[in-house]
Amino acid sequence: MIRSQKFWVAVALLVIIGSAVWSYLTLRFWDSGSTVNIISDGKVLYTIDLSKEPDREITVEYEGRKNIITIKSGRIRVTYADCPDHYCISQGWGEEGSLLPIICLPNRLVIEPADSQLDGVAR
Amino acid sequence: MNTKKLTYMSLLTAMALIIFVIELQIPPLFPIPGAKLGLANIVTVFAVYTLRPAESAMILTARILLGTLIAGSPISLIMSLSGGFLCLAGMLLLCRVIDKQHIWVCSVLGAVLHNLGQTAAAMLVMGTASVLVYLPFLMLTGCAAGLFTGLCAQYSVRALGGRFK
Repeated sequence: MIRSQKFWVAVALLVIIGSAVWSYLTLRFWDSGSTVNIISDGKVLYTIDLSKEPDREITVEYEGRKNIITIKSGRIRVTYADCPDHYCISQGWGEEGSLLPIICLPNRLVIEPADSQLDGVAR
Repeated sequence: MNTKKLTYMSLLTAMALIIFVIELQIPPLFPIPGAKLGLANIVTVFAVYTLRPAESAMILTARILLGTLIAGSPISLIMSLSGGFLCLAGMLLLCRVIDKQHIWVCSVLGAVLHNLGQTAAAMLVMGTASVLVYLPFLMLTGCAAGLFTGLCAQYSVRALGGRFK
């Protein structure tokens, strides 16, 4: 079986279809609640309830590099980052219920739902 | 390893680096940290199918280290190494059972291994399991990218390969 080319083509197709289904299920059933943690270098700096938090800006520094996080009418996003790739900014707004983690790898910043389904894995 | 072989490998490394630098100019298509085309992997897949395992590993190591010097950070180095070597190890095993007409299959599975290695390293570096949320999206874009690079490598091997095995 392992020598058969058809077997490996099938494995590859299964992986492709599997990851498509997994992506869809993640988007469909993701429920983040309204509380988010802002984590820098593995430490929780802020825990914020988006439904109650007034509009504000938070600056987080890591080794001299800055990220500015903006909270506006119950939504949260990164508005400034001095990292090279700016993925965290292009991830855009996250709001109550549908916030996927916002990650800035170079500055080790994570904005994640405080009670996500991943909690069991994380701690 | 003779001079001819050394030159050939250096040439492949240089090509991989040039592809890497050109790819830097392409803006990211998806706002997913870690998702990219990985065009330089065309050279890795090509090497896996035409050179010895140790030689492929040397080309990959040189490309990652030099690439990090051009555009990278300590963190991107960790990501590239963990993803790159898990991908290489997987493809070196798979190339024994997947023939040269199905290189794209090997490349797609390699791409997924790359994403798994990256995500594992990101979990360790960031100290949170949150990055796992992005794994399915990374795998999906990784499969597409792996399919493309795999086909590029497949046609290159058909046209030039087998000379130095």
